[in-house]
Amino acid sequence: MAFNILVVDDSAVMRTMIVRTLKMSGVPIASIHEAANGEEGLRRLQDEWIDLLLLDVNMPVMNGEEMLQRIRADERTRDLAVVIVSTEGSETRLATLQSLGAAIVHKPFPPETLRDTILRVTGVTDADYYGPVAATSDSLDF
Amino acid sequence: MPTTTAQLLRRATASTFEDLAFLFLEPECSEEQAAAPLDAAVSVDFHGPVRGRLTVRVSSMLMPTIAANMLGEEQARQVPLQRDALGEVANVVCGNALPMIAGADAVFRLDAPRWIADEPRARDGDAPAATVSGGVDDGRAEVELFLFGTPEQLHALQTSGADATSTAPAGSIF
Repeated sequence: MAFNILVVDDSAVMRTMIVRTLKMSGVPIASIHEAANGEEGLRRLQDEWIDLLLLDVNMPVMNGEEMLQRIRADERTRDLAVVIVSTEGSETRLATLQSLGAAIVHKPFPPETLRDTILRVTGVTDADYYGPVAATSDSLDF
Repeated sequence: MPTTTAQLLRRATASTFEDLAFLFLEPECSEEQAAAPLDAAVSVDFHGPVRGRLTVRVSSMLMPTIAANMLGEEQARQVPLQRDALGEVANVVCGNALPMIAGADAVFRLDAPRWIADEPRARDGDAPAATVSGGVDDGRAEVELFLFGTPEQLHALQTSGADATSTAPAGSIF
């Protein structure tokens, strides 16, 4: 399965970095869409079929927490896989976001952290991602 | 001897430079690094239990490298993107340093990074609560944290810091 991904972050630099990381990570990608705040992101969700949302918290117009609350309140998007990608360090706020079913990736992040989190929240298994692993002759020698 | 706030700021700065820009912040500058000017600068204002500002200054010779490491070689040639990349470094340093200093329950709102290289270095009466500097590649970097608030607000911050009780005696935060 290849993912349609929406990246919502007010920093164009960070969106570029996340997209670059996604492309390097080997996560199967069908399309990548971008938005600069929560309100713009919600409009994107209306217009496009999205499988995975990568969402910042601190943004103007509408922040990530409010966008996530609206996503969970809408039956069309309530089951959407969401990864928060943020510098947010408040445990209170992070607990709220996790209670809304989001996984958290803290900036700055190594590419493999983002990849592993995406694979976890989307339910892609190691076998789906890496392909079947052939058994070695040693492993059969028992 | 650095104070605890400076140690926490150094930790946030070093990890951000390393993980975001793939550059190492060396504690001491070589002669060549020390001679490099700090002529590129951005700041991030923040609001929360206290308000303040974090500034990041680097030698402008580092700007293409920072942008290239964050965005790729092609994007690195564009000066506005170089400035945006340094702004994102400041944003991430600030976002990581504040919970370390103010405690994990504190909620801060960060403004968008601002290019300040053309502005006077310090506003009247401003003194940083912590400063971190060091060599980076062939240049150098300096990060300053300014905290503004009443003595009561600053004291509350002092006693709520994440690492305050474990790494420093009382009263040494600032």
